[in-house]
Amino acid sequence: MSAPVFITAASISAELHQAMMEARGLALTAKNARALAVRAGSRTVGFRAITDFIEELASAIIDQSRVINGHAERLSVQAVEAWRTDMANQKFQWIRSQRPQHIFSIEKNIRACDDRVTALQHDLQQGLRNLIDQLEESRKHIRTANLIATSSHVEAATAGDFREQLEVIADNIRDTADRIGNHLNRANALLNQNHRERKAAC
Amino acid sequence: MLATVLYEDGDHRWIMFGRDPNKPKGIIDTNQYLIQSGDEAILLDPGGIELFAPMLSAVLKYVPAEKITKMFASHQDPDIISSLGLWDQALPNAELYSPWLWEGFIRHFGMENTTYKAIPDEGMTIQLGRIQLQFIPAHYLHSSGNFHVWDAKAGILMSGDVGAALEDTDAPLWVDNMDRHAPKMKKFHQRWMPSNEAKTDWVRRVSQLNIQVMAPQHGRLFKPPHVQEFLNWFDQLPVGTAIR
Repeated sequence: MSAPVFITAASISAELHQAMMEARGLALTAKNARALAVRAGSRTVGFRAITDFIEELASAIIDQSRVINGHAERLSVQAVEAWRTDMANQKFQWIRSQRPQHIFSIEKNIRACDDRVTALQHDLQQGLRNLIDQLEESRKHIRTANLIATSSHVEAATAGDFREQLEVIADNIRDTADRIGNHLNRANALLNQNHRERKAAC
Repeated sequence: MLATVLYEDGDHRWIMFGRDPNKPKGIIDTNQYLIQSGDEAILLDPGGIELFAPMLSAVLKYVPAEKITKMFASHQDPDIISSLGLWDQALPNAELYSPWLWEGFIRHFGMENTTYKAIPDEGMTIQLGRIQLQFIPAHYLHSSGNFHVWDAKAGILMSGDVGAALEDTDAPLWVDNMDRHAPKMKKFHQRWMPSNEAKTDWVRRVSQLNIQVMAPQHGRLFKPPHVQEFLNWFDQLPVGTAIR
């Protein structure tokens, strides 16, 4: 059975929050890498340049995660409203089937509720599509992070005594990028599952 | 849902809704009331979310939705008003009268359209169609912010949890013997009512009213002479004691 959208959206928000925390760790890794590169001197010029990219990337991931997180949270609130309005609508349909004497007196409100359900569902679909686009954007950042990790390894190989420490940093970048990627994958899977089930239900 | 007309004089009516044989298992039975006068009606303690659909369906058999201009929630409990988020969609122009103390809490049930009319601690009187209704303080009986509704013209006191007994849905509507009924109320009142001082004060004030029907939110209703018998019984009952 499909999870209600508000649970899906809240779960996505939680995944993005975790991704954001990981990205903060990535920013810290970049700072450590920069300090190490300064100490290593001329042999790590290439690595030092990469640290700037890592910091920028971490900052971009944090910003992007924050945006998606906020978006998913708003979507969850909106989905709760849609669910509640839909519940009212279903109850109204039952009341209509009972044909109480004064049912005509509530028809206007039933129609208003019906219209609200349609509008909220439309907004929800749009919000979910935006979320898919934003998650795809974040995945580009992860692909970049993996490229940086590879370049870092290459640069570390020429760093002499500092090679081992720089390789640890390069591994750290790759691991963090993987963990962020996993959070994004899970968020994406939740979204796709919900999207598929909603389409199937139509 | 069973609907019973308790009072009718021209366009002034009291209708009780309850004893729903189809209500989901595990939720307590509740009495909901509708008072109508002229072009207006008020729902008293409209009930929990589970009862919303049968309740609205039953209400619409008696009165069109646009005439229900007001709602009243004696206090904040879910069996009283957790249906608010749905009434909010059904009656978007209605006002909800409820204790000022609970406004920030009751709004958690969902209130986008309804207007909250906060009842001050000392109570208040409102006009409903051609009659006046009085919200009588009943604080600590059982909620710390609590009101009952007095309709002097009909002589009906909606007494919330005071006089309540938790019985099966097929229990009779009226108390016919206080000696037999009192044991059904005893534990409930001793557990739920925390203050002897509040109880004594309420009995003193309510004894001055000419009550023809005392209508609690659970269980059977009282007519004379059982109203006075109840007040005497309640006055003597130590409350806030059922801790074991």
